Amino acid sequence: MTRPMPTTPAPELGCPAASATDVVKLYGSGETAVRALDHVSVELMRGEFTAIMGPSGSGKSTLMHCLAGLDTVTAGSVRIGDVELSGLSDKQMTALRRDRIGFVFQSYNLVPTLTALENITLPIDIAGRKPDRLWLDTVVMTLGLRDRLSHRPSELSGGQQQRVAVARALASQPEIVFGDEPTGNLDSLSSGEVLGMLRHSVDELAQTVVIVTHDPRAAAYADRVLFLADGRIVDELRSPTADTVLDYMKKLESV
Amino acid sequence: MTTTLKPAQVPVRLPRTPGNPLIRVGFRNLRAHKVRLLLTVISVLLGTAFVAGSFVFTDTLKHSFNAIFATGLKGIDTRVEPQHDYDPGVPANLVATIRKVPGVARVSPQISLPAVVVDSHGKRLQTGGAPSEAGGWTPAAESITPPPSFVAGAPPAGPDQVVINQGAAKKAHLSVGDHLHVVLANAGTVDVQLTGIYRTPSDTGGYVGVRFTQQEAKRLLTDGSHVSLIDVAAAPGVSEQTLTARIKQAVPSDLKVRTGTQARDDATHGIASALSFVNYILLAFGIIGLIVGTFIIFNTFSMLIAQRLRELALLRAIGADRKQIRRSVLLEAGLVGLIGSLLGLAGGVGLAYGLHALLDALDLGLPSGGLVITARTVIVTVLLGLAATLLAAYAPARRAAQTAPVAAMRAEFAATTAAGLRRRSLIGLGVGALALVATFAGLNSSSAGTGASLAGLGLAGMVASAMLLSPILARLLIVPLGRLVGRPFGAAGRLSRTNAVRNPRRTAATAFALTLGLVLVSGIAVIGASMKASINAVFDNNVTADYILSSQTAVAVPEPAVDAAAKVPGVGSITRLYGMSATVDGKHKLGMAVDGPLPSVLKLTGTTGATTPTGHVMVVSKSTSEKPGWGLGSKHVLTAPGAARSITETVGGVFDNNQLLDGWLVSGQVYRALTPRTDQFVFVALVKAAPGANLDALRTGLQDATNSYYVVDVQDRDQYEGQIASQVNGLLGLLYGLLALAIVIAILGIVNTLALSVVERRREIGMLRAVGMQRRQVRRTIYLESLLIAVFGAVLGLVLGLAYGSLFTHTLRDQGLNRLSIPWGQALTFLVVAGVVGVLAALWPGIRAARTSPLQAISEL
Repeated sequence: MTRPMPTTPAPELGCPAASATDVVKLYGSGETAVRALDHVSVELMRGEFTAIMGPSGSGKSTLMHCLAGLDTVTAGSVRIGDVELSGLSDKQMTALRRDRIGFVFQSYNLVPTLTALENITLPIDIAGRKPDRLWLDTVVMTLGLRDRLSHRPSELSGGQQQRVAVARALASQPEIVFGDEPTGNLDSLSSGEVLGMLRHSVDELAQTVVIVTHDPRAAAYADRVLFLADGRIVDELRSPTADTVLDYMKKLESV
Repeated sequence: MTTTLKPAQVPVRLPRTPGNPLIRVGFRNLRAHKVRLLLTVISVLLGTAFVAGSFVFTDTLKHSFNAIFATGLKGIDTRVEPQHDYDPGVPANLVATIRKVPGVARVSPQISLPAVVVDSHGKRLQTGGAPSEAGGWTPAAESITPPPSFVAGAPPAGPDQVVINQGAAKKAHLSVGDHLHVVLANAGTVDVQLTGIYRTPSDTGGYVGVRFTQQEAKRLLTDGSHVSLIDVAAAPGVSEQTLTARIKQAVPSDLKVRTGTQARDDATHGIASALSFVNYILLAFGIIGLIVGTFIIFNTFSMLIAQRLRELALLRAIGADRKQIRRSVLLEAGLVGLIGSLLGLAGGVGLAYGLHALLDALDLGLPSGGLVITARTVIVTVLLGLAATLLAAYAPARRAAQTAPVAAMRAEFAATTAAGLRRRSLIGLGVGALALVATFAGLNSSSAGTGASLAGLGLAGMVASAMLLSPILARLLIVPLGRLVGRPFGAAGRLSRTNAVRNPRRTAATAFALTLGLVLVSGIAVIGASMKASINAVFDNNVTADYILSSQTAVAVPEPAVDAAAKVPGVGSITRLYGMSATVDGKHKLGMAVDGPLPSVLKLTGTTGATTPTGHVMVVSKSTSEKPGWGLGSKHVLTAPGAARSITETVGGVFDNNQLLDGWLVSGQVYRALTPRTDQFVFVALVKAAPGANLDALRTGLQDATNSYYVVDVQDRDQYEGQIASQVNGLLGLLYGLLALAIVIAILGIVNTLALSVVERRREIGMLRAVGMQRRQVRRTIYLESLLIAVFGAVLGLVLGLAYGSLFTHTLRDQGLNRLSIPWGQALTFLVVAGVVGVLAALWPGIRAARTSPLQAISEL
């Protein structure tokens, strides 16, 4: 199986790595339909670290799922780079996720029977490609996993497991990495480590990262914070700190 | 929601199911996991169906034959028969003696002899296993039993007239006036005309009974001084016991004298035990089915409980105690077992019906009649099904009961480790060592019986040991195998390999169905192949005849057919072999009689003295000659069965033991002098061509000469070997039945395990989908995993089966199985079949897995 190498992140920053235009997502139908996303439009810039925040049920996870091609939208358009997602077959969508998107899940979601290294190279293996050794070394070094590569997930701590998960997301040099509450299961120390790694990958490896979180300290690592409420983007914050985010959240919840 | 709360006008409806809430939970669970439980129910069903089927089948046969003999042999108060099969019959002059016994109302001598009936087109009637015989027609006035009624025509009146039973007439489309040929062993072919078709209660499927007039029957079917048996009816007021006792006094003591009741019981019993092999096969299937089913049930409940960990923990948290949890799980199992065994009962009835129809179509002489379902059948089936299910669910139920209430809070499944396998493996090694000891003891045993039993014990031990060691073996075997098979499939290959050994206990239990099936099948295959090889070797090494005349019917090769063959131009010599039964020096013995030169048709080695028995000179095998008093020149007195006359024989020659010959051989002249005419059978005649004769012309000549006897096969050595091999193949047909059952159960087991694994791993599969695994890759992963499990089970079974098949062959080496032949091609076929089965079983779970949404990776459990 030979497939073209995934397009490496475009060098020019400032253009969107992913975008949503007028996205509506309905769950159910008729009387009982729930409007999870209500005409959301957003652009996620290359080389930026974006955090999506909002109270439970605000639609922040749904937005991420739709942006990441895990879920389909009811109306509107989602693009990854220059690819319009609506209209893609399951096969094309899967290939797109595999080649151009990285994921970090809240509960790590590593394959328990594979070693750390095998887990990291899993998406590349699935694509039937050889990993780019140089890049892989860089990622492994950056995440401090050198000594842990032959361990099984059960032999790693939560923080280490999540670092393996981040390495897996970065291994195929995706255009964009999505994290769904990536620190939700971690203590504050590991949490800081993992977020530091993500920050580092944006600054040093020119990656684009989007995370969903409800932790203001996590959001503080981002360049930009989007706030969602009732399925709409209600505001955004540039260069946030934990305090400014917390303040904003308080304001949002008191509405 | 803006509903205003009003005081409840309608009282809250309490659940209608009374009693224990945990019982309710049990019931609800059954409903919630329909598909999974369906698979479990099917596995219970399969095992119990075969058990129930065997009971129903046997009971039905017993019942029908009881009915047949109760009516067919009604009116007989005493039956006088020869003691042994080889006796010439009952002296005909006893009829007069018995008539004089006080209390006798009627005496009816009966004559019957195996016969083959051929219709006017030269087609043989009846090809199955039911009796085919010729006898005398007892006129209604002399009949003790209810006289058969005529459907068409009238009783035979002349020497060339016969009547035939309705079943045979119907099957062969015969009508009154048709010309028939009756082939008898001694008299050859008799041409007759059909004068009537009679109806008899003993007209079971395939039975053929032609009846001559009494005089003709006496002439053709007896030696003139004997009848087959004598039936007696008592005068009014004389009980059958009294009559039987009186007759016993009046007739020679070497005759068997029974009451009518005993005769009827024995007849039923005899037939039932003749058909009991069917019963054993069914029971064996049932037991294998149940054993394998137990593993499936165990797997299902283990997995269901693993999945319901949170629910169970919740029940514990809200105050259910361990006993209640255990009971709730066992109740579920009990319900599954009950439903499964009830369905199995129905399945068994269907099976018995189908089997009956099948055997009937094969003309095996089965009576027709309704199926008999006894209380015992129902009780045993249900109890077995219940016991197997409860037994299998007990360990999972205990584990469920041990769930800690806090487990409700934990989201992830506990990772399975090798811990706990150590004890199991140690026990497995111990059992294996004992099994090896038993096996070696069996191998070195001098007696074939003990040897085979010990090897059988060894095999059972090895199977148990393999089952216990299987989790460890799974890892050892599947990892390298998976590397090999999975290589072309990259990540899918690696995942399937690691998944297959992820839970080695489960893999082992899943693969066990195939292991057990293949142990049986490959073991039987080795024995069958060795049997064929041994037979071929015997004929190849010993037979130098150019053609072999034989018959697959009860009339063997009719003597006149051999006489005709002997006259064919190009025949150098013809040698007849007979089975000889005689009393030698006061003890009954079986030997052989030879008429014609032996060395020209058989390779005899180590001969001293005469090579062929002639006149009153007998030749014996080396082992016979080594017995005290049997040396060259020793004299022995041979007495005919029934003690009609004696001949003194002198041992004139010795030959090396030969598998085609018995320990002693006498001449044809002695055979004919000592054996009643009607019992004389040429079981095979060996033809050696004259020097320079054209073999093809000779074959044609022999066929033409024996054609009018209908039952004679003219074959060269290879054809004869082929015919015997095909009989062995018929026996091996059972093997494929076993394979089929093992496969069906294995498919169920694999489907079950995979389907549950897919559900268990849905988060992981969702993640794989999320990071870019295509649906077909997901499917492929599941197929490969299943393939690995199936091939693992098959390899384990094949290794054990081939090894023990070879060992059994070795222990039976003195029983004629002296050539070991391992059917590698067949073994490979079994392996491929197992692999295909693995993939087929994975189809549905694979499709389900591929449908997993990537969002499952994120969902709550």
